[in-house]
Amino acid sequence: MTSLEKTAGEAPVSRHDRMRSRFGSRAAVLAVAGGALLVLSGLLSWSYDDRVLGDLSIRFYPAGIQIYAMVIGVVGVVLGLLLLRRPPWLDPGRGLRALGYGSVAFVVAALVSIAYQAGGLINVNEGGWVGLLGALLILGAALLCPPEHLDVHSWPRLAGWQEISIIVVLLAVLLFTTAYTLNIDDAATFGCLLVVILTVAIALLGSGFGGYVGFIGQNNRRPLLLAAFLVAFLFPFTQDGSDANMSIATQILIFAATALGLNIVVGLAGLLDLGYIAFLGTGAYVGAMLSQSAFATVGWKPPFVVVMLLGMLVASIFGLIIGTPTLRVSGDYLAIVTLGFGEIFRLAMFNLDGNNGPDLTNGPNGIPAIPDLTFFGFDFGATHTVAGIPLGRFSNYYFLLLLLIAFVILVFTRLNDSRIGRGWVAIREDERAAEAMGVNVFGLKLLAFAVGASLAGLAGTIKAHQDTSVTPDQYIFLESAFLLAAVVLGGMGTVAGVLVGATILKLLPEKARVVNDYRLLIFGLLLVIMMRFRPEGIVPSKRRQLEFHEDDEDLVELAQTEHLEAK
Amino acid sequence: MEFAQQLVNGLTLGSLYALIAVGYTVVYGIIQLINFAHGEIFMIGAFGALSTWLVFFNGNTSVWVLPIMIIGAIASSVIVAVLMERVAYRPLRSAPRLAPLITAIGISVFLQELVRLGYNNPLLFLSTWNPFDFPSAKQKVPFPQIDVVTGAAFNVGGVVIQRSTIFTIGALIICAAGLFYFVSRTRTGRAMQAVSQDPDTARLMGINVDRIIIVAFVIGATLAAVAGVAQGLQITNINFKMGFLAGLKAFTAAVLGGIGNVWGAVLGGLTLGLVESMAVQFIPGTFGGSPWKDVWAFAILILVLVFRPQGLLGAKVVDRA
Repeated sequence: MTSLEKTAGEAPVSRHDRMRSRFGSRAAVLAVAGGALLVLSGLLSWSYDDRVLGDLSIRFYPAGIQIYAMVIGVVGVVLGLLLLRRPPWLDPGRGLRALGYGSVAFVVAALVSIAYQAGGLINVNEGGWVGLLGALLILGAALLCPPEHLDVHSWPRLAGWQEISIIVVLLAVLLFTTAYTLNIDDAATFGCLLVVILTVAIALLGSGFGGYVGFIGQNNRRPLLLAAFLVAFLFPFTQDGSDANMSIATQILIFAATALGLNIVVGLAGLLDLGYIAFLGTGAYVGAMLSQSAFATVGWKPPFVVVMLLGMLVASIFGLIIGTPTLRVSGDYLAIVTLGFGEIFRLAMFNLDGNNGPDLTNGPNGIPAIPDLTFFGFDFGATHTVAGIPLGRFSNYYFLLLLLIAFVILVFTRLNDSRIGRGWVAIREDERAAEAMGVNVFGLKLLAFAVGASLAGLAGTIKAHQDTSVTPDQYIFLESAFLLAAVVLGGMGTVAGVLVGATILKLLPEKARVVNDYRLLIFGLLLVIMMRFRPEGIVPSKRRQLEFHEDDEDLVELAQTEHLEAK
Repeated sequence: MEFAQQLVNGLTLGSLYALIAVGYTVVYGIIQLINFAHGEIFMIGAFGALSTWLVFFNGNTSVWVLPIMIIGAIASSVIVAVLMERVAYRPLRSAPRLAPLITAIGISVFLQELVRLGYNNPLLFLSTWNPFDFPSAKQKVPFPQIDVVTGAAFNVGGVVIQRSTIFTIGALIICAAGLFYFVSRTRTGRAMQAVSQDPDTARLMGINVDRIIIVAFVIGATLAAVAGVAQGLQITNINFKMGFLAGLKAFTAAVLGGIGNVWGAVLGGLTLGLVESMAVQFIPGTFGGSPWKDVWAFAILILVLVFRPQGLLGAKVVDRA
């Protein structure tokens, strides 16, 4: 018996429930009306002052904020209409709730920005007030919707090509939205847009489309992966030769590749590592010391392919050294041991300047002036023009890093699906039971450290060339905490989660310069709040989500369905 | 002579570590949580003392000011520690082990940034309201120098003994005596022992476990606040980052002594301080000297965790995955 059937037998007691049962049928009308008002508001003037948030003062020529309001309005209308004829696998009410809160937040944010920048609410024109009314109507509609039980067995079955085209369309929308979002420079507009994107995404995913899209993705894994990489590959071509966003994108890729390595150690094998940035640093220092830089401390200058392999090798040796104590310590103690190793790495790099120990790293000054990479005459520092679109220095590195992250994802997924990956999960769940079942606990733990470290080391060798300098203060404990946060925020043990987490953690501080001084404050608060309210992360693996919410029956059912269909 | 001098330096450093380490060990002994943010409690204690001085006695360096500064330090540390337990840790008490540890890292970063940005600007970006004209904490802030406990050093047969050294070691002795009395003689102290041995049975015996946990946080915060004042008097300035390294070293000390064991924390702190001072003086060659002292401290931490995880005094061996 499901939770819904249990409650359906009893009479609705609270006033809220009585309101719902009486006005539930009107919710659809309210939602459609609210959506229509928001669409209308997009055609009206929002601001008397034409210098605020772009130009919002012209009627019947929507721009910026006005378009966003129309997007929310359309989604509201669609969800409202779906309320009238609800497919059993959808719960538009859930989506409307997110849409209601989000749209109110968006309109209020827009009104506050107008009032703040132009001096007083008097500058808000009729469009803003119509928009606010529409948003409030949607919220009201959402509160009247009764909670529905999702029937996940009734997903529509489409032909293969139809499912694939859904994926392609979604990814194209993703590419367009990303390119559009990144090109907005005004902080207030960027903030409003972010609210809108999050609102629409949560509204659509939450109402049941998310589960369905996930289901399609499960059915078409290869096309999905290929299409995703195609989209990522096309991204530099949307930037019109500008390197500003590409620089951020390369940072995100390096960060994500390292975080994926960490995800093997933490997410799969369950070994908490608080000094992981040291492996990225190892790779970077190997890359720098063996580079063509005039400040390199080692005379040997091998080709970059050899440097990459050496970076992986040295990092994995460090990984093995750090992993050895895992035989004896576990849990919190392991975290502290790795933290200690991370600090020792940083201090050693800081000290090895010739006065204290041998001269390997130039101490606090680091190794500067590392030249750009050159592969078979292809100079990574120069701008190349492909199909009329100039691709600058960072775009070149972006393509290389894309290959790197493809490799990392390949390693991650193949290991995860193999005997080794299952061994890691077994160790994570119960080490003694795993050992009793014949899992080679010590070997697999060491392997997790070595593989994770070598991936980070590989990323580090490229990072050295892309940053053109390597200094010890890039590898402080806070960076390790950031990596761990990317894994935890995104979702432990999943690839998509870590990519999302890494993007959020690197992109937001870069784009929202206003809050730049507050970014660490927000970061700390975010960690605490996430652990309190959604410890499994943004894109959790089903298994982990169940660990945190054992009593959620819908989730159990969903997990069982997927498990059966995977067979 | 050099040895005697390093002995004094080591004991000073060690007393500081010991005062902070007690906080890690009491909390760990009761709820098996590494309170990673404890170093920040120490930092907040130092800033609490400074704030008390700035608000009430700005410019006054008489010695009678010191006890009030210490009370101010303790009050601010205790308030932050109790809030932290109540808001962040208590909801996670039954969560998997990773969650509280990550929360602790989050709190640690949050508190550092809050002090850095908010010390002279308590409303942050909303306004520049700064009622008591506090200095900006973005760089080092000078700590008031109080008569009697700071000033000209004593010279005992060639060994230089700073006045703040005497204060620090004295503070450790007084705090340790008070802690001994509290843990072994009072009802609450005995309840604490009971909870650390077996929380479920203790609950059945009518002990309010939630209250005992708060008491543990309060004890840790009190000692850390005293350490914060001692550090301020010694180094003559404080900053928002001082808690991180000190906290890590103190945790090392707690593990060295046997985490969960209060006397272990004191012993471990003194040992670690002595080892660090001696390493600076007596390790020959280019790997000696102060640049490498932190490396030696962390090396000790790793070696102890790997080869004698139960520590010097060998509390119960905890095996948790």
